[in-house]
Amino acid sequence: MEVEKGKTFKYLKDKREVSSGVIENLKYFNKMKKMIIGALTESKMTIPQLTKKINMPESEIVYYLMTLVKYGYVQTAEVDDMDEYFYYKIKNNG
Amino acid sequence: MQGRINHASFDTLIIGGGIAGCEAALNLANNEFKVLLVEKDLSIGGKMILLSKVFPTLDCSACITTPKVSEVSRHPGIMLFTGSEVKKIVRIAYNNFDATVVKNPRYVIAEDCTGCQLCEEACPVIVRDQYQMDLVGRKAAYIPFIIASPRIAAIDIENCTLCGACEKVCPTNCIDFTQEPEEYQVTVKTVVLATGFKLFDPLMMPRYGYGLYKNVITSMQMERQLAPTRPFNTILRPGDGKVPDKIAYVLCTGSRDATVENPICSQICCMYSIKQAQLLMGALPMADVTIYYINIRSFGKGFEEFYEQAKGMGVNFIKGKIGRISEKENGNMMLRYEDINKGIVKESEHDMVVLSVGVLANQDTATFFSNDELKLDPFKFVYQVDSFASPARTSIDGVFVAGTASGPMDIPDSILSAGAASSEAIGYLIQKQ
Ligand code: SF4
Ligand code: SF4
Repeated sequence: MEVEKGKTFKYLKDKREVSSGVIENLKYFNKMKKMIIGALTESKMTIPQLTKKINMPESEIVYYLMTLVKYGYVQTAEVDDMDEYFYYKIKNNG
Repeated sequence: MQGRINHASFDTLIIGGGIAGCEAALNLANNEFKVLLVEKDLSIGGKMILLSKVFPTLDCSACITTPKVSEVSRHPGIMLFTGSEVKKIVRIAYNNFDATVVKNPRYVIAEDCTGCQLCEEACPVIVRDQYQMDLVGRKAAYIPFIIASPRIAAIDIENCTLCGACEKVCPTNCIDFTQEPEEYQVTVKTVVLATGFKLFDPLMMPRYGYGLYKNVITSMQMERQLAPTRPFNTILRPGDGKVPDKIAYVLCTGSRDATVENPICSQICCMYSIKQAQLLMGALPMADVTIYYINIRSFGKGFEEFYEQAKGMGVNFIKGKIGRISEKENGNMMLRYEDINKGIVKESEHDMVVLSVGVLANQDTATFFSNDELKLDPFKFVYQVDSFASPARTSIDGVFVAGTASGPMDIPDSILSAGAASSEAIGYLIQKQ
């Protein structure tokens, strides 16, 4: 079968089922991304402040927030007065 | 040299592209022998390429590893198969083996990928990044890590939604979801086993709370936090993102411990923990670092001085055996331990605990051979038939062992061992010519 270059994903889509776990994982990431970016759009925040705002477990916020830093959505700002927690802000948002 | 073969002959098959496998491959290829290097992972460099600095010199690990791995990738005498596995090795004559190697699909045409990472940018999926020890996410279309060699994207098909976004943006049209596993039959005269080691899984010791308490991490997770290509911007507790103040190391996690069936010393944990403690004091000058140990085994050249240097920098050393770790409400950890010098049980509080996990044998090695028996030692490492006079020889004539496949050892010893294995393989090849 001739498979069109640049569209080979269609070929595998016909042969392989994407598991519901993978879809759920994607949905969950998008939800976390939306919540974290939404909260940081209002103001810069530390992780405890983000936790209060979006009511998700702190360790998950660390994971998703750091992933958003890695992919350039969010950036690290200054550390708080107690030198305990960093602030995070939307990238290039002042 | 990445390439396509379906049937070919080589002088040596090297299994494992960590620092020992790379060293052995270069020695053989620089002496005009043809090498096939097979690595299971997507990049060569093994565990060393993921380290921050090395003890006792504090040289940058990547600075030592990358020239070597780049030379391996480009060497005309080395055929490199990454993402590939040796399935079977059969002796067909006195000095000839037939090996079956399976190349798993990367879903990217290696020769055409420029490593531009546009596919990675476009991919919407996030999963835990195994190269950052799960501390942060990565995409399903990804380049394993920044200094990966070869620097070629791969698709993690198990986590891919087959949305096609990566394929649409790839400027060289090199994403190819039609790829399937490819099987190769190769004939080789010698084999070098450089299959390395596994790190002890601390989930096997529930009393330390790993997996349950987020602020109990492994030494490899701390290693990544200290590396220049680290997952966070600094050192943070994964549980709540706090900059830790009081950090404890628990030495011999899974080593010298018969309760987890690993009574031997891992040889590296004392020294890498001392190294990390020194690096932590540089990264967090106000932090307290305490190392709980049974004995400090600083046996190598410059090691004792390195240990003394750590003490001089203010690292606390407590001769104490940890019984249990529990969590306080604020995420701090309570360590209950026996103070070995005083013979009493004590408790202390730390912000974060690093488990200095030990080394275990990679038992895949024994399964490769079908008509020869590769003997293992009592701890499942490759048995050395003459460990004093000829440490690279194994129970199979023509098969040599390099690096930690034969037992725990540090990086310089792995490189020395790879030198010995390649020299023995060269001697064997010359004799049989
Ligand atoms: S097809 Fe898979 S790898 Fe490519 S962008 Fe979509 S999810 Fe990512
Ligand atoms: S977009 Fe294409 S060329 Fe660029 S890294 Fe991805 S697969 Fe390679």
